[in-house]
Parts: sequence; structure tokens; C-alpha cells
Amino acid sequence: MTDRTPETEAAEMITAPARPRMSFARAFGPIVLTAAAVALVPLRYGDSGATMRVAVAGVLFATYAVAFNVIFGSTGQLFLCVGALAGVGGYMSGILSDRAGWPLLLSIALAGLLSSALGAGFSWLVVHRSLDVIFTGIVTLAFSLGFSNVVLGQRNWTGGENGLLIKTGSNSLLGDQIPPFYIMLGLLVLYLVIYRLLQLSHIGWAFRALRDDEVAAELAGVNVARYRIYAGTIGAAMLGVAGAVWAHSAGFIGISTYSFAGVDVRVIVMLAFGGIGTLLGPVLGAVTFTVLDEFLISFAQLRVVLYGVVIIVLFLGFQRGVIPAFQGLVERVRDARKRRSPA
Amino acid sequence: MRAVVFDGIVLGLQFGLLGVGLTLVYGLGGILNLAHGPMAVLGAIVVANSMDAGAPVLLAVALGLVSIGVFGLLLDSTLMRAVYRLTGERRVLLSLLLTLGVAFVIDGLLVWRYPINSLGIHIGGDPVSILGVRMRTGSLVASAISLAAGAVLVVFFRFSTAGRAVRSVIQDEVGARLCGINPTAVRTLIFGLSGVLAALVAVTRSMTSPITTTAGIDLTILALIVTVVGGLGSVAGAFLAGIILGIVNTVSSFYIGTYITTIMLLLAAALTIILRPSGILGRRG
Repeated sequence: MTDRTPETEAAEMITAPARPRMSFARAFGPIVLTAAAVALVPLRYGDSGATMRVAVAGVLFATYAVAFNVIFGSTGQLFLCVGALAGVGGYMSGILSDRAGWPLLLSIALAGLLSSALGAGFSWLVVHRSLDVIFTGIVTLAFSLGFSNVVLGQRNWTGGENGLLIKTGSNSLLGDQIPPFYIMLGLLVLYLVIYRLLQLSHIGWAFRALRDDEVAAELAGVNVARYRIYAGTIGAAMLGVAGAVWAHSAGFIGISTYSFAGVDVRVIVMLAFGGIGTLLGPVLGAVTFTVLDEFLISFAQLRVVLYGVVIIVLFLGFQRGVIPAFQGLVERVRDARKRRSPA
Repeated sequence: MRAVVFDGIVLGLQFGLLGVGLTLVYGLGGILNLAHGPMAVLGAIVVANSMDAGAPVLLAVALGLVSIGVFGLLLDSTLMRAVYRLTGERRVLLSLLLTLGVAFVIDGLLVWRYPINSLGIHIGGDPVSILGVRMRTGSLVASAISLAAGAVLVVFFRFSTAGRAVRSVIQDEVGARLCGINPTAVRTLIFGLSGVLAALVAVTRSMTSPITTTAGIDLTILALIVTVVGGLGSVAGAFLAGIILGIVNTVSSFYIGTYITTIMLLLAAALTIILRPSGILGRRG
């Protein structure tokens, strides 16, 4: 380590592997273990319809959080329209399959396509007007609130504030008590695998470069604009599909199903708690806050207050999120051990 | 038509006052205070409760302004300290999350303790005719207070030493520090001022229509829109944007319908961001 010169460092940087090398087990083991742990939930709570619905919603929020992680965690685009993008998918799929009689899977796929087109559009706007975090947030927030107004206004199609009953899903597996949980979990696993594959591919390499230092990434030849749009497109497609699957499994969607207060705020809190830019952070956050919500329900009116207090305390404690804090702790312990027993 | 525009200006001055409080804090510390609206509502409830307890209006208002100002000072010198330690995107994110938490706490407590309370200050007197439009006295008093507050702020920032210190920190924190200005003290002071302004908005708004406990989040979103359109950190910009948006608001609700106003305001904000990201009077970033 003593004879390093700028030249050798530069040479190393050029020859260093651009993609992180990770064994198959290390790359996908955590996903398998998490899925296995979550898959045990119905064994304990399978008889209770109400609890299972909460569990499915919890997994749904984990999928939202993974999608938001692709957009915000990877490329720093603060999309405050998570709920609206999922809602576009939900309403689109619900209306297509129920009113027009299109096949369920086709309607879900189209929902994903529509959402991803919207996400790509927003990313394009963000990139071409070089909007910063706050401005991205406000433009997409405008879309969110606009979306709920459109849903309220177009009552012929969406049912307005009465909501929309969706019957197509109830005849399929999605109408049962336990299968929706495993379908949603399958979706979550798929999203996690996609996230991991992105991380391992050249796209993930570009994401890391532009998160670390945008200007440096641009100078090093990373097409920052293109990768931002990739993230927006992929994440939005995930949201649209998840929103559509939820619409069919719940059998009813309304204005609050995809509202800003009901979805976006919670997803941000979940992701920030678990750890932005980590593989399992979104899942940990979703599980934690779903359980917390259930716990706080018994406090009725004080629930909002307690929720606020919990948010403040958690974020003062874990500013980077629980998973990064945990990783830091593990590393420190490992370092201390190494120092104690020099090889 | 003229009456609608006048109503828009009355509303716009309140929007402006609402935006100023938010924009100053953002310009100084990069904190987007999501609890701004709930703080205004808290002020309204303090005033309403003091009036119920028999305090004269002026005393109740003073009590409201001071208590929310102190609340702002406390917020800045406790929770926000953790935010100031960070920089860049992480500072923005943590400030959003923490003030969101504060907003939940205030909102929750108010809805829990005072679910049906509201503040409405009634200003007596006959309507006054201005350019052939009969204006309610309450609207005029509210506008006068907003204008006076705006004027005081402009004079303060232009001509007083403390105001210049604030502007220097907005422009260049390191430079200000080198000139012997303590940015931390300036930020705390401005957070307190922002709280006073929030309570003042609640008071002026209540002269035209009552403020209810649940108005907090809507007020925050309005303040955000005004801030964006006016330019971050600009007092005059916030007032100008407020008046424009106020007119947009009343005109669109009069000619199209009330349900469209929120969309129109958000559209205005989105368009401003896309066409002129620094806002009407904002500095070029």
C-alpha cells in the first residue's frame, strides 16, 4: 500500500471491474431468505380474513417501496406520485377487464405499460429541465393531486368518491383468502430480483456513479439522462402492475386506495426507515410500519400523533435507515476483531 | 368580473403572507417546513381559545403570534439541529421527514383535542365601496394587515442590519460567516419569524372565512405552490405570486367551478417549474 502513485491508482481504476462481482448465493440468498420468512405469515394468521388482508396490503406496500427505491434510491428522482402511478394501473386494469371484458392478465400488462409511459415522461421532464429534488417532488405532486381530481370528476368511469367494484378478480385465485398473499409475494420477489439484477448490470453501475457524483459520472461518459429515464420507466411499470394486481385482489378501489396521503407518505417513510438504496430496506420498512399501524389502531384518535412521534424519533435515530446502520455496525465489529487478532 | 378580481387580490395577499413564511426558512436553511400549515392552524386555535376565555381580540392575537413564534424558535433549536448537520439531498430529505412528523403530531393533537373548534374573527362595519365594488370590512382589514406585514418585511430586509445579515446568509453562508454573522442564530431567528407569520396568516384568513382544525395540510400545499411560483427565498416574489394565484383561484372557481381550483393552482406551479424554474422573482440558481 505504500508505493501507490497516482499513475498506479489511475491504472487500477481503468482495469478495475466495472461491475461488482458477487456470488450467486450472496446476490440472491437474501431475497430467498426474506421471501421464505414472509411466506410463513399465513401459517399463523391464515384463518383470519381481516388479518390476511392487512398482510397482503403490507406486501403491496413493500412492492411500492421497491419500485420507489428504483426511482428515488437509484437516481434521486423524488417521484411524489407513487400512489397515482399505481392508481393509473389499478383503474386502467379494473375498467378494461370489468367494463370491456378484456382478459385479466392482458389488462394488468397494459396497466404496467401505461404507468411506465407516464413514468418515462416525468423522468424525461426532470432530465430535460434539470429539476432538483424539491422541484421534481412538486411537479409529480401536482400530478398526484390532479389524478385524484380526475378520478373524482370522471365518475362514470371511476365511480367517483363511491369507488369502483371490480368483479373480474373475484372469480380467479385473487378472490380467495390466502392465494392473493402468495401472488403478491411472488410479485415482490420478482421486483427484488429485478432490483438485484439491475444492481449487478451496467445499469446499476451507472446508477451508483450518478448517485455518487453526477458531474463526474457525466464526465466519465455515463449518459446520466438516459439512466434516469430507465429508472423512471422501470419503477413506474412496477407501480402500475402492483396497483393493478391490488385492484383485482381487493375487488374494490376508491379515491383513498391510491391517494397521496395514503400511499406516497407511507412509502417514503417506509423506504427511508429501511434504508434508501438497499435491497431489503423497502421490505423491512413495509413490515415494520404495517405492524406498527396495526398496533396503533387501538389508540384510535391519538394514532396520528403517535405516528408522528415515531417518525421523528426513528429518523433522528437512524438517519440513513436501519439496514445501512446495521451494516455499519457489522463492519465496525469485524474491523475491531481484525485489529485484535492481526494475521 | 371586477369583484372577482378584487376577491382574488384579497385572497392573494393571504397566499403571499403564507408563502413568505415558508420561503424564508427554505431560502436560509434549505428546510421545506411541511409543518407550516399545521403551525398556522395551531396559532388559530390559540387565538380562538384565548378569545373564548374572555381575552380581547388584540390580546388573543398577540398571544397567538408570540406562542407560534416561540414554537418556531424551539423547533429550530431542537429538532432542526440534526438537519443542519447534514448537507445537500440528505438535508432536504431529513427535513421533509422530520417536519412531516411534526405536522402529524400537531394535526393529530388538534383533531383529537379540538375536533370542532375553529377561528373566525368578525370585523364589524358596513361594506366599503371601492371602484364600484362593495368590499367587506373584514377583507379590507385582512388585506391591510397582510400588506403592512409585507411592507415591514421588505423594509426589514432592505434597510436593517439584521435584515441584511439574513440576506447575506441566504446568498452565501460561508461568506456571511467570514463577515462575523452567526448563521445558526440567523436561522433560529427566521424560524421564529416564520412561525409568527404563520399565525398571522391564520388571523387574517379567519377574518374572511373561518379556519378549522383540519386545514393544516391544505395550507402547507398552498404555501408550497406560492413559494415555487414566487421563487425560493424572495419576499416580494411570494407576494406577487400570491396575488397572481389568488386571482387565478377566484376567477377559475367563479367561471369553471370550485373543484378545478386546486388543479389550476398546481398547474400554475408545475408550469412555473418547467418554464421558469427560479420562480417569478427568484435568483438564478
